[in-house]
Amino acid sequence: MKVAYYSPLAPDRSGISDYSALLLPALREHVEVDVARKGARARGDVALYHVGNNPESHGWIVEQLRREPGVVVLHDYVLHHLVAGMTLGRKDGPGYLSAMERDAGVAGRLLGLGVIDGCIPPLWEVRPEDFPLCGEVLDLATGVIVHSRFVEERVREKGFAGPVWHVPHPAWPPPDVSPERIGGAPVIGAFGNMNPSKRVPQLLDAFERFRESQPDAKLLLVGAAAPGFDLAWRIGHEGLADAVVQHDYVDEERLWALMAGVDVVASLRSPTMGETSGTAIRALTLGKPLVVSDVGWFSELPDAAAAKVRPDDREVDELVAAFEHVTANRDAMGTAAAELSRAHDVARVADLYVAALEESLGGDAVRETVLRELSESAAEVGIGAASDEAAALGQAMDEIQL
Amino acid sequence: MRILVCSPQVPFARGGAEILAERLTHELNVRGHDADLVTMPFKWYPGAKVLTHALMWRLADLTEVDGRPVDLVIGTKFPSYVVKHPNKVVWLVHQFRQAYELDGTELGQFSESEEDRALRRSIHRLDRVALGEARLLGAISQNVADRVLRNTGLEAEVILPPPQQLDFRCDSYDDFVLSVNRLDRAKRIDLLLEAAAQDGAMRIVIAGDGPDRERLEELAAQRGLNGRAVFAGRVGESELADLYATCRGVYYAPVDEDYGMVPYEAFMARKPVVTTHDAGGPLDVVHDRETGLVIEPRADELARACRFLLDHESEARTWGNAGRALAETVTWDHVVERLLS
Repeated sequence: MKVAYYSPLAPDRSGISDYSALLLPALREHVEVDVARKGARARGDVALYHVGNNPESHGWIVEQLRREPGVVVLHDYVLHHLVAGMTLGRKDGPGYLSAMERDAGVAGRLLGLGVIDGCIPPLWEVRPEDFPLCGEVLDLATGVIVHSRFVEERVREKGFAGPVWHVPHPAWPPPDVSPERIGGAPVIGAFGNMNPSKRVPQLLDAFERFRESQPDAKLLLVGAAAPGFDLAWRIGHEGLADAVVQHDYVDEERLWALMAGVDVVASLRSPTMGETSGTAIRALTLGKPLVVSDVGWFSELPDAAAAKVRPDDREVDELVAAFEHVTANRDAMGTAAAELSRAHDVARVADLYVAALEESLGGDAVRETVLRELSESAAEVGIGAASDEAAALGQAMDEIQL
Repeated sequence: MRILVCSPQVPFARGGAEILAERLTHELNVRGHDADLVTMPFKWYPGAKVLTHALMWRLADLTEVDGRPVDLVIGTKFPSYVVKHPNKVVWLVHQFRQAYELDGTELGQFSESEEDRALRRSIHRLDRVALGEARLLGAISQNVADRVLRNTGLEAEVILPPPQQLDFRCDSYDDFVLSVNRLDRAKRIDLLLEAAAQDGAMRIVIAGDGPDRERLEELAAQRGLNGRAVFAGRVGESELADLYATCRGVYYAPVDEDYGMVPYEAFMARKPVVTTHDAGGPLDVVHDRETGLVIEPRADELARACRFLLDHESEARTWGNAGRALAETVTWDHVVERLLS
């Protein structure tokens, strides 16, 4: 089997390009892979498209998907930003309105008009999760690979009837780095872009209160602040200048070293676009206990490895309690985290990818063969297509995922 | 408790899995339960037949029979564990190995065609569902437990099955090596014949029948083993007990066997077992120079191992006795206690 592989890759600086850099060597152990250059076409028996929410990284991939349907890896369930970039970003207002109408009917079209006319704020900034705009991608997909039950359920709710494969996000092998400690104890680390949707304001509030019982605690923030998000001011405002260490972009090796040096990793966000967190996966690899938001994929992490906090009115209180719980149980939770990372072993993930691609290529033929044999046998004994017995047959096939 | 033990049936074929299911049913009844054996024919080819036969198990309604509820079903070998029941336990004999470790080998079934590749994956998917929904997943050996973990990510508890009840005894340590097995290629009887060809004085008795018999008999004739290699065919319980009681030791080295009753039977007769490093299940109990000999799967090594046993009755006796002590710890009381836990 030869796979035509579409994904952002270096120098694109994104989680999905890191993901593909990790996955590709393992995938090539099993199958031949032709990786498409940005904007170009790859050749293979089956096409595999990594689709995320960034129009710069993924717009060309969706264009290729339009030319040749194939298996889609849905890294984000919410693709509003991608669709807006591929339509409004290219002066294609009607395209955006069509996407909105498809998701939310006439009301969606009217809201889209409001956005175009500047009457309401851009929906991809204020309410993207209400309008995921993933319909076209799902229409073009012959099958969908997801990383969470959360996304799987939503894909089904959207009416996607094709095969969906739940494949874990691959984990990086433990790196050979020396931990870089920043001093203080315990040290809580947060990694990635610093912005409100990563709950940084709530994180700072909670950390400030956590320090009342843990005065030596330190908070390490690694990642650039979003435009308009004055992180330094917020840190000073909370009176945390001496307790918070912040780095903007760091290279991969330093990222691992810094993460290896913390006691707990906080990986918070709300709303979720249905994404999986590369930061959280790295933390598991290092055996670091997690504090996460109780949303999407994060909710599916086991309690043994991750304390979950709902992004509601009590979020700050719950974050403080979570920090206390995790720091008190960090050895056991760290062991559970390391254990969990084995399920994300990249070789296993590659095998699951191959399974999905093989089923994508031959699955219809298998189903048709089984159905033909069953229907012939059923007809021979007088069981009609609309009978209860036929329904029972269908249910049994569903149950065992045929 | 009303319990149904589920086991597939390949018509005209009978081996360890069938004996195991029958025995489990019997042992449950002996302990006061109302147990019965449910079987269905199993054919795994051509094409997707393996799936339609699995589906037959799914369609069987075993939640109640004749108006009375069934409290528990126990699935054993693929595809019997596809059966649906709110209280399902699986005591796994083996999965459909052609879809897993045998794929791509001469013992495999699936080609490289798109349909065959997808068919194989459908079996993986089916297994994850059917085994994952079991209240308790047991495995008959560490080898089977390791495989199911590797294949599905599911952890299974090892519950070793005791050997069949024969008139186990030790009468003597005569100068022949016994093989007890179905005669098919995976059992590697040809290795024993080649070993006998290298040792001009070795006598072997091969009990069992199967599709490879004609080829093996031809091989024996080509190697000039007439008279030294006896094909006893399928023997009755009494004759089998006699063979165990009088042999010097037992050869048992299938390729990556699930479990293997034969070592336990040999041990019950206080006889050591010769096996190979790649035999799988037997390695749970055959320990080199403790309960037998563990060698590389080569005829010259096997010839040397058998010759050692034939020349050293004392060691054969010591290792056989050690095997007996080990086999006696594997009991039906334990099996039933775990499966009903």
